[in-house]
Amino acid sequence: MGAPVHSLTAQTQKSLEEVKVNTRRHKRHLLGNTISRYYFLFSILALCVVLGLVIVFIGKTALLLFGSVSPLDFFFSFNWTPEEDAFGAAAFIVNTLSLTALTLVIAVPISVAMAVLCAEIAPKWLTSFIRPVLDLLVGIPSIVYGYLGLTVLLPFLRRVSGEGLGDGLLAAALVLALMVLPTICRISDDAIVSVPRKYRDAAYALGSTRLQVIMRVVLPAASRGIVSAVILGMTRAIGETMAVVMVIGNTPQLAKTLFTPTSVLTSNIVMQISNVEFESTWNYSLHMMAFLLLLISFVLILIIRVLGRKRRDA
Amino acid sequence: MNGFTRTRYTARAQRRNKIATIGFYTLGALVMLLIFWLLFTILSKGLPALRPDFLIKQPEEMDAGGGIGPVLFNSFYILFISLLISVPIGIGAGIYMAEYAPDNAFTGALRICVESLASVPSIVFGLLGLAIFAEYFGVGLTILGGGVSLALLNLPMLARVTEEAVRAVPGEIREAGYALGMTKFHVIRKVVLPVALPAIITGVCLVAGRAFGESAVIILTAGLSTSGEMWDFNLFSPGETLAVHLWYVQSEAIVEDARQIADKSAAVLVFVVLLINFIFRFPLWLGNRRRGR
Amino acid sequence: MKVFRKLTVTALTAVIAVTAAFAGVAAAADSLKGKITVNGSTALLPLTLQAAKEFQKLHPKVKIAASGKGSVTGPQAVKKGIADIGACDWDASIDVPGFKAFEGQVANKVAVIPFATIVNKNVGVDNLTTEQLKGIYSGKITNWKEVGGADANIVVITRAFGSGTRVNYQAKALAGGDIVKKEKNYKETGSSGDMKTAVGTTPNAIGYIDLVYVTGSDIKAVKFNGVEATTDNVINGSYKIWAYGYYMTKGQPTGATKEFIEYVQSKKFQQGSLKKLKFIPIAAMQS
Repeated sequence: MGAPVHSLTAQTQKSLEEVKVNTRRHKRHLLGNTISRYYFLFSILALCVVLGLVIVFIGKTALLLFGSVSPLDFFFSFNWTPEEDAFGAAAFIVNTLSLTALTLVIAVPISVAMAVLCAEIAPKWLTSFIRPVLDLLVGIPSIVYGYLGLTVLLPFLRRVSGEGLGDGLLAAALVLALMVLPTICRISDDAIVSVPRKYRDAAYALGSTRLQVIMRVVLPAASRGIVSAVILGMTRAIGETMAVVMVIGNTPQLAKTLFTPTSVLTSNIVMQISNVEFESTWNYSLHMMAFLLLLISFVLILIIRVLGRKRRDA
Repeated sequence: MNGFTRTRYTARAQRRNKIATIGFYTLGALVMLLIFWLLFTILSKGLPALRPDFLIKQPEEMDAGGGIGPVLFNSFYILFISLLISVPIGIGAGIYMAEYAPDNAFTGALRICVESLASVPSIVFGLLGLAIFAEYFGVGLTILGGGVSLALLNLPMLARVTEEAVRAVPGEIREAGYALGMTKFHVIRKVVLPVALPAIITGVCLVAGRAFGESAVIILTAGLSTSGEMWDFNLFSPGETLAVHLWYVQSEAIVEDARQIADKSAAVLVFVVLLINFIFRFPLWLGNRRRGR
Repeated sequence: MKVFRKLTVTALTAVIAVTAAFAGVAAAADSLKGKITVNGSTALLPLTLQAAKEFQKLHPKVKIAASGKGSVTGPQAVKKGIADIGACDWDASIDVPGFKAFEGQVANKVAVIPFATIVNKNVGVDNLTTEQLKGIYSGKITNWKEVGGADANIVVITRAFGSGTRVNYQAKALAGGDIVKKEKNYKETGSSGDMKTAVGTTPNAIGYIDLVYVTGSDIKAVKFNGVEATTDNVINGSYKIWAYGYYMTKGQPTGATKEFIEYVQSKKFQQGSLKKLKFIPIAAMQS
């Protein structure tokens, strides 16, 4: 403003320069955009390669199994006595499913309630105290959980139940529930926090109590994130090994009661894979069990997702 | 004040609300108590006996008084390598799934595949790492092998957490960015990532904590021995980590003070995880404060 | 694929060479160099790690990497070329029950490992015969009063199939008898430490373990056919539950691997560290 007339040319030149700079910046942004696009594409491809690598690695060995054992026997026989060439994995499959269900029944309500407490109810100072403590739980190595399970939980269960041993699904589910609690809790916590404030305000303005806001507005709005949290927790529970082998008893049989020493897919893989020869039906069947784990969690996740979508649509 | 009449219905709702609040707090208190009891059991056995020289001394096989020096170093080193590989790729893949990938059946299937990968027992990743590094490349048990295998293990989890975090960013602030003529990447970098950062960092912390305590993968790919030097940056040295050492002293070591070493190692492990969380979160917390939130 | 593999291997070797050159600056003028990978039995691991430590002091240019995941892993890793030495609790060059011989491998004896039957401290029984043990592990004897103890169910704790300890215990203590799984009061553990903790914390439990681990007040070793489980009784031949520990190699060992095995078998190591680790020198059994 108020520039002398003689510098008009200078000013046009300056704005020309600005345009040039702007174009350059624009080009740079476009280039950045293209490069980043390729980078993200590369990342996802790398992830796919890892995925493929694992599936091929497990699958390649696993499929050799059906050269010597019929799929019917493997999937439907309850007799797992590899020393005598009996490879029936049905008991492990059933046990894995029941252990996962039991763990989730214990862990999900507690974790989601904790997440609600952190995100909605507790005052700020309490929240910023609870969150790091929960994160700490993730960092405790699974062998420590296992050791505590072996030395503290099992004697306790023995006293309560009057069993001689105490090992079984219940002990494993309790340990697992504690292990997946922070995973489910922290991720649902994030999901609840990211529910837009205005939803809540609208509900409060209508005179809802806090409980009503939580149950009818916040939780449904965060359901997508909570479902993901449950899935991540569940997959960790299915895949957890080191702690489970210490408290489950490792006996290949169907768990008829909560205190029957038993074995799930993972614990059986871990206990035996280092003790078998590479080129043996036994090893192939252990790889098949790992493959089966992938399949089982794939199906479970699919079911949870479909259920989640139905509930949201309803 | 009295423009609002308490009907039986609202009275019931308020009563329920009160009960639920008490219930939530009780549950929270119980869980906190359980966690503290757990931490107390772990730390009270280890910390009082912990001397600084335990952290730098060599592990011993015969004589009491061994330390965890090189093992602790290897833990950080392997964690660093694995994060160096898995964080950029994991976050990149997560962003791709949330922002770029077409919303079709294939993407959905890919997502579920990535999720189910988390349920493969870590020992299988160990066997995979063994097959790649020891068999295919023939380099034996190395820090590099351990780090990369650990990265493979963490990648899926990281990608999923990032995707969820990015998806949770409200669409409208993105649209505001586009309306200003920003490129897609610019919007991601300047608008989406800052908003999604806390959740992504939660994910990285979860993954780092898990990687720090992981043992099955390392036993198979990096071995159970160290090169015997404290600061060994050689990527091809054997790299026993603290979690592996803990497993070893707890299950096979003969030294008479194995139990104490295990207790102390467990305490150190938990302590380090606390530290990792703190280091990752502190800048974030500081930033929040400065912004006056 | 082949080219890629070759390229990567070349690149990796180059990196190794460079790092080795840096690492080698400080090393003494010692002709022996190389890399030895030991894998296999976890029971022999303390011995291997101690030997590796001492050996690397003598020959700084030799790098030894050790790991363990189970006895059979040893000879298998050797067969696949992943490891130079496979530690194994039995002679893997001949057939043993459950495992076929590994062709072309040489078994090098390195130590004598004694095993003991252990029970929880609340068990009153202090002697068990071969027949009684067979009965307990096959599930025919289920109550301690049948073998002279109090009226309580026996909780059987065993190692997983394929564990070196189990192979040897079955062969020596059970005279080849079977270990049969039961519906209740039966548990398998994955390592010696787990076995010790499990027997120590479970009342009325019975298990078996390397003699070295029998310490503390939670567990106690019982006599086998009236003979106490001590190293002296192993050496004088009256206690029968023991076995050799082996280092399996592909053909006769050469180079650094040979030197390392010879060091472990040397009188200095056998009478020194090995004894301190509570293994028994091989010479004691052969004289």
